[in-house]
Formats: sequence, structure tokens, C-alpha cells
Amino acid sequence: MSKTGAVERAEDRPPRAALVSPAPSSVAAGRAAAPTADSRVEASLDDFFIPDFCAPRMAFAVVLISELLAVTLSLARPGAAFLTELARLSMFLQWLGLTSAAVLCYARPRLARLTVAQSSQAVFALLMLNTAVISALTLWAGTRFGTPTIPMALFPRDHWPFLLRNEGICVIVTAMLLRYFFVTHQWQKHVRTEARSRIEALQARIRPHFLFNSMNTIAALTRSDPARAEEAVEDLAELFRATLRDSHSPLRLKDEFELTRIYQRIEALRLGERLKVTWDVADLPMRAFVPGLTVQPLLENAIYHGIEALEHGGTVVVSGRVVAGVIEITITNPLAATRPPSDRSGNHLALDNIRQRLALAYGGRGSLTVEQQPDQYRVTMRFPVTE
Amino acid sequence: MSTARSVLIVDDEQPARERMQRLVAELPGWAVAGTCSNGSDALALTAKLDPAVVLLDIRMPGMPGIEVARHLGALERPPAVVFTTAYDEYALQAFEAQAVGYLLKPVRRERLEEALKHASRLSSPQLHSLATQEHPLARREHVAVRVRDQLKLIPVKDIRYFRADRKYVTVRHARGEDLLDESLRALEEEFRHEFVRAHRSLLVGVAHVEALERSGEEGYTLRLRGEPEPLPVSRRHVADLRKRLEGRWA
Repeated sequence: MSKTGAVERAEDRPPRAALVSPAPSSVAAGRAAAPTADSRVEASLDDFFIPDFCAPRMAFAVVLISELLAVTLSLARPGAAFLTELARLSMFLQWLGLTSAAVLCYARPRLARLTVAQSSQAVFALLMLNTAVISALTLWAGTRFGTPTIPMALFPRDHWPFLLRNEGICVIVTAMLLRYFFVTHQWQKHVRTEARSRIEALQARIRPHFLFNSMNTIAALTRSDPARAEEAVEDLAELFRATLRDSHSPLRLKDEFELTRIYQRIEALRLGERLKVTWDVADLPMRAFVPGLTVQPLLENAIYHGIEALEHGGTVVVSGRVVAGVIEITITNPLAATRPPSDRSGNHLALDNIRQRLALAYGGRGSLTVEQQPDQYRVTMRFPVTE
Repeated sequence: MSTARSVLIVDDEQPARERMQRLVAELPGWAVAGTCSNGSDALALTAKLDPAVVLLDIRMPGMPGIEVARHLGALERPPAVVFTTAYDEYALQAFEAQAVGYLLKPVRRERLEEALKHASRLSSPQLHSLATQEHPLARREHVAVRVRDQLKLIPVKDIRYFRADRKYVTVRHARGEDLLDESLRALEEEFRHEFVRAHRSLLVGVAHVEALERSGEEGYTLRLRGEPEPLPVSRRHVADLRKRLEGRWA
């Protein structure tokens, strides 16, 4: 159970989709005061492991499962007349199945607020209660309608054993179904997370913002300055080739800086005078290895979050030095005074990605630190010299 | 060409402006009225040139496009607005939901023509819903008031309170008072992070509150920095107000 708890908590982080979904609902004035709470309930309902029994598809499944159970139980009683047994059990189990589905349909929104363990216990309690009620009703119907015209075989005669047997079967079937729902749900969740993390990894490497803006710049240049447009296409091609290559292969510092400068050239076409970059990396051993595409995304962040938000632009400083066998590369950018409060999660995505790759390559000896001041943002990357 | 409808192009990137300018100029029936690179110039130029359509980039330094669009709505003759962007997943969803015109850069000639043809003024519900969505660039940092023919921008952080009168809302700020043609309810929703309701007709800037004071038997008044007169607080808002103020001081 503890493992599930961890998964659930990870999902608790405000999902990006939730930022988007409240838009239509916020049209209704007044409701918008708590759009996040609303969307959280909706999200958890979508993300609940017990399926929606109100759906026609589920009702059909319940009918089918009840009938299969009736057949199974009838087959398991070789002594009794098969068809009578089947008719008796079918009637009983269909009632039981459909009322249980109705109970779960009604209770689901409330159950969805509980933890997995709590909601499972609640489901057991509800279904056992329902079984008791239906069994009692069946017994009552037997004493009321069990006349010679309706064969007595259709109704149970013994009271308590009947009830207890039913509760036993109910517990076993419920346990099996809950387990099945839970496993299916975990698997679906896993598939979804997998797909999302792949897209995020790709976006961390190829920022759509950069791609489409560069395309637009090139479209503009093809007429006004074809030579530069050609150069820009070549630069873009080289950058994407590097991006699409295996990201685990290390590059020489010289090559990583070269890629970063290519990137800078493309951005300079778009931002013109607004972008200035000062390079102060002459002290670094250019033959040393660095995980590929770590410096470039840092410059991209500096431009996206720093320079682009400044009307008159600014200067990004890329500086490097070696301290006791450790390479330190620092990228500093100015920040605009008025900035949107929380600008895009892309920044953290890129930083997390680089941090992970440094950890993968150097263990505890690689690190990425961030210092933020009101008007300045500085990222420092540290990793040991390897040649 | 005298009947050509005019377009104002607003984009902070020079190549983007250049391309859009060329595309519009090549469309029969359309002419470029002007271009500019930021939101405040866009407001001034719109007032001066009276374009039929403004092509507005979403992501610009200073004032983002969505805020510019809201201020344009305060003009006497608001132009039609078409947003442009290279990539912005959040804004696009809102535009789709509100049927607001937008173009993706690089823009195709046919799409541009189509968008210009169908461009319309943004209605106030559209503007309102764009402003209240959870987009980082959606909330205004200024409110625009019309003083004669000019738009005057008041920074939201300078606003001490909004007070609703019969027809208008009075904006009280560091440099005086102005009238605003918006509903207090919409303002409350948009600026819910900075303002709090103190009274049926009063929305107070949380950062400007100096003290919440007891007055009389069980009544309260609010004192704001720089305001000699205390403001009324209605009883049903006291608890909420206190919570917000404590949140600020905590």
C-alpha cells in the first residue's frame, strides 16, 4: 500500500492540464472564486480506480458478470437440477449485481475523496450491506410468494446459513473485483504518465517556442535577406541534429560552446539589438567533456525568461573557470521588473533535465545551483574535469 | 485602394513585424496603418490611426498582448483584434473556447486573409474570460480609463480601492481618482489576488491597508495608507477581510 501512496502523492502536484481546464467553467461568474477546488474534485473523479457504474457499458458488464457467476455456481452443484438452479441464482444475482452497481454509481463521487484503503473498505461495507438487504428481501419474498404454484425450489428456505453464505461470496467477489479495478487503473495511469514524460522530455530538448519563432524569422528573412535565411536554416539544422542525437553521449566543451553559439546566432536574428551575450570562458579546458546540450538550454532559459521580457533587452554573461579540478560554468541574465508571477513550467523542466543528466554522468560530483535576485538570475553548473 | 481597411501590426520582434507587414500589404483590400513593438505604443497608435484591425502578439515585454486587448476595449471605437503567437498552448485553448481570432506564426497568407476578414471586436464577456483564466500573462497590470480621447493607464499596484457608484466604478489611486466603465464584480474576479471586498460597493487593495479598526458597537472601518478618510466595512465581509490581511502580515 505504501507504494501506491507514493504514486498518488506524485500525482497530487498541480497537473498542467488543471491549469487549462477551468477556463470554460470560469465563465460562470461567482463560481470562479474556487476554480481550483472544483477542478481538483473533477480530476480525482477521473482518476479514481473504481469505474463509473452509471455508464451503460458498466451496467452491461455487471449483468454479464452476474450471469457468469450464476452459471459457475450452478455448475458447481452437480446434485441439483441445473436449469432450476440457474434460474434461481440468476434472478438473485442479477438483483444483487444491479443494485450493487446502483449503490456504487451513487457513492462514487464521495468515495473518490477517500484514500484507496478507505474507499476499498467503504465498498466492502456497502456491498455487504446490500447483499444482506437483498438476501433478506429474497427470504421475505419466499415466505410471501412461495406457494405451490411457484416452485419452492426458487426460494431459499434456511435463513441464517443463506445470509452467511451470500456474505462470504460477496466478500470474495468484491475483493477480486477491487483488485482487478485497482491493477487496471494503475496500468492505465502508468501508460499515461509514460506518454506524458516522453513528450516532456522531448519538449525539454526542443522548445516549441524556439522552433516556431525561428521558423517565423526564417520566413521573414527569405525575402528580405536570403543569404541570412540560408545561414539560419543551416544553423537550425545543425542544432536539431545535435538535439536529436543520443543525449547521453558527452561532447567536448569546445563543441558544446559551438552549438550554444549557433543557437545564439539564431536568436540574435530574431531579437536583434536586444540580445547581447558576453562569453568569458577562455580559462576552461576546451578538450574536457560535458554532457551534451547542457549549456545551450541554460542560455535558452536566460533568453526566454530574461532577455525576451525586457523591452530594451540586456546582456547574458556566460563565464567559466576551473576550481580544484571542478569546472564551473555560470550563466547570468537580467530580469524584468514586472514579470508575470509564474511564467511557465518549462524552466524547471529544462533545469531538472540538466540536473538529472549531471547526476547520471558524475553522481554527487555534478551539480546545478540557482540564485535568484529581484533583477538577476544566475545558474551555476559544476562538474569534474574529464579529458 | 482608398477603401482599403487598415491594420496595425504589434510585435516585439522586428523580423516578425516585417513579414506581417509584407503579407498584409500584399492582400488586396487591406493596408498597413502602422507597426509598433510594444503595448503602450499600440494603444497610442490605435487612438491616433483608428485601424480596423490590430494584429497583436501575445508575448511581448512590458505589457502582454492580452492586456493590450483589454485596454483597447476601453477606447471609444475599439478596433477588431486578432492575436498572433508562435506557440502558447494555454492562450490558444482560451481563444478557442471564446472564439477569439488568432494566428499562428509563421502565418500563411490565406489564413491571414481569412482572419482579417472575420476579425471582430472582442465583446466584454470574451475580454473578461480571457482576463480571468489562469494564464500567467492574462491578468492586467494596468487598468485603462478614458480621459477625453486619450487612454490613461493606471498601474494596478497603485490602486487603493475601487468604489462602485450608480453607473460607474471610481478608481482611487496614488494620483487621484478616475472613472472606469467596468463592473465591480468583474474587477473583483480578475484582481482576486490583490484586492478584497470590504463592502457591497468597495474593493480594497490589500497592500494599501494600514489598519482594520473597530468603530462603534460592532462595526469596523478600514484605514488605507495615504487616505485621510476611513472606509466602511460591512459586517459580512469582516471575517474574510481579516483573513486576507492576516495572510498578508503572516
